[in-house]
Amino acid sequence: MAEQSKLRQLVISAPGIPPHLLVSDVADMFMDESHGKLLSLPVLDGDRPVGLISRARMQQVLFRQYGRELFGKKPVTSIMNDTPVVIESDTALNEASKAVTERLKFPVTEDFIITEGGRYVGMGAVMHLLNAMESQLAAQTEDLAAAYKQLKASQLQLIQSEKMASLGQMVAGVAHEINTPLGYVKNNIEMMEMFFDSNRALVCASNALADALLAPHGTEQELQEKLAVLAELRQNPSGEADDMLKLFADTRFGVEQIGEIVQNLKNFSRLDRAAADAVDLNECLDSAVLLARNVLKSRVEVVRQYGELPRISCMPSQLNQVFLNMLSNAAQAIEGTGKILLKTETEEDWLKITVQDTGKGIPADVLPRIFDPFFTTKPVGQGTGLGLSISYQIVQQHGGDIRVTSQPGKGTRFTVRLPLAARAPQENAA
Amino acid sequence: MSEKANILFVDDEERVLRSLEMLFRHRFKIYTTTDGNEAVDICRRDRVHVIVSDQRMPAVTGVEVLRRVREVSPNTMRLLLTGYSDLDAIVNSVNEGEIFRYLSKPWSAKEIVNIVNQAAGIALSLESEGGAAASGTAPGVLVIDEDPTVVEMVKAICGKERQVSWSVDLDEAFETLAASDIAVVVCDIRLRGRDISAAVKALKESNPMVLTIVQTQLQDVETLRGLINHGQIYRFLPKPARRGLLEMSLDAASRRHVAMKAVPALSNRYQVEKNDAAPVAALSSRLQGFLDRMRQGKPL
Repeated sequence: MAEQSKLRQLVISAPGIPPHLLVSDVADMFMDESHGKLLSLPVLDGDRPVGLISRARMQQVLFRQYGRELFGKKPVTSIMNDTPVVIESDTALNEASKAVTERLKFPVTEDFIITEGGRYVGMGAVMHLLNAMESQLAAQTEDLAAAYKQLKASQLQLIQSEKMASLGQMVAGVAHEINTPLGYVKNNIEMMEMFFDSNRALVCASNALADALLAPHGTEQELQEKLAVLAELRQNPSGEADDMLKLFADTRFGVEQIGEIVQNLKNFSRLDRAAADAVDLNECLDSAVLLARNVLKSRVEVVRQYGELPRISCMPSQLNQVFLNMLSNAAQAIEGTGKILLKTETEEDWLKITVQDTGKGIPADVLPRIFDPFFTTKPVGQGTGLGLSISYQIVQQHGGDIRVTSQPGKGTRFTVRLPLAARAPQENAA
Repeated sequence: MSEKANILFVDDEERVLRSLEMLFRHRFKIYTTTDGNEAVDICRRDRVHVIVSDQRMPAVTGVEVLRRVREVSPNTMRLLLTGYSDLDAIVNSVNEGEIFRYLSKPWSAKEIVNIVNQAAGIALSLESEGGAAASGTAPGVLVIDEDPTVVEMVKAICGKERQVSWSVDLDEAFETLAASDIAVVVCDIRLRGRDISAAVKALKESNPMVLTIVQTQLQDVETLRGLINHGQIYRFLPKPARRGLLEMSLDAASRRHVAMKAVPALSNRYQVEKNDAAPVAALSSRLQGFLDRMRQGKPL
């Protein structure tokens, strides 16, 4: 691009006029067809440009009454423009264009002189310069459009990776939540199978003993044998009845818990594409807490102060994403153990959701930037810096806003406000 | 088993504890607690042969519990039983917890019975051994890593006292292991672009006295799980190598090796879970033959 955008490409070769040449001879030169494309010719002292004479200036002089008689025998220097526009050939097109527009007057009657190291190389036409500028601009516009497209694509990709990151966190949490009940349920079932086997053997042995007892021709020895088998089988662990009942109750509880988690998961991701009427945000918060339990469980106590909330129309899966993001931010802000307060209430025409943590807080100089896209204080690779920016977008699209106050060392409070008359945003929301 | 071993289960879900207790109470004396701190107290107070702990619990993590149990009762066999775990947890379970097995939820009843039986057997056998004074000559270190800076670092740490061998070829490495007195192997799990974790596992199986320090950039939970259960690696360190960390690990491994030489039964603690056929297939046939002879106790 660098070479193309230089003035050198526009050079039109044209003969120079020596300074002593007479005006009438110059007039003849203009009659020459080969210079027909030029508005003006250069006046050169050797190879140094000293002036420029234009067709228009010649006409002005010669059309005058007795013009040819008065000026014809004078040297061209007497009527030339001795301050022509001279531009070095390695000047960039936009620079040249700037010089030309500053110096040349309307209507355009002159060309400009192109030099190389002060030595004349040829003439340049304003029209050519304009054309060159235009195609350069077109190319730049194309580049810009391509760059913009690429930027847009990578932004989408980043938003996607942010979603994947929270999804990954969610999956981790859910895996753990499910694996715990699954662990004891599976163990219980395998134990019950073992108990069942030993109990079946016991029942068989008891029946055999009963049969032997009732048999009319049974012998003492037969009875002894059956008794011995039974006695041996009774040594095997077969599970006390009370234990078995406990085992069944635990297993049922575990299966129900797994069912609950799966139900919650479905609620969380349901309606990903459509807005829903009558959404209970307290329920949304609950499922976000469940899914964030992975990051919360061992260290963070969640305190819920839910108010009576009217159901609103919104995109629940998107708001869930906001809540999950805030919960995991809060959990990450807490070093060691701490608390998160979840409060919901209505205030005039607004529905207020507060997420407050006892974490390390956000320094005052960082606070104004937390909603900026790509702003992150986490090490490279651990945060996209998009979580809060996307959350903000989502809440904004719901007609609400997010406010934040923070005290370093004490904690941070995020307040999401949504209009009670919230209308769900359109499909194209991020 | 003539004597019943004591087993301690730690999990914040009581139903897990009930379930495990019922599975094991005919075989062992069972302790259970939902509180990690109490688990450490129990180990300090009573003789606990095997502890099986959950990872994610309120107040204390499983790795933290196992780390503290290792301090108050070093002979207790430590196992982690977890439903999900991040990489940090599993790395620390090796480096700090020095765990015997890493078990996943949901587990198989048969498998956990076998593993806990094995752990209890080892703990009981060690108890009867008693501690002998640990002393001995300084044995060598074998580096299996194509990165020369690693060898240089190991040499700088070991100085003149411990001999350092270097190999970038598995067959050669196993020959060195057989021919010289090697205490510690420092290796990556990738060598010349190939995954050699199967060899790292086989190495421990055939040389129970050798302690393995794995240094790698690779960070994968499943790989690491395999290296614990099948390879009983002693330390798992990140790359690029950090001298302080490597030095501490090498010193600890050397001390451990000397102790095992004094009381060979100690090496039972590092018994690996038998490898499946599949991963071993990745080994060269020459290496495989080598291992087979070793397993059969025949001369090489």
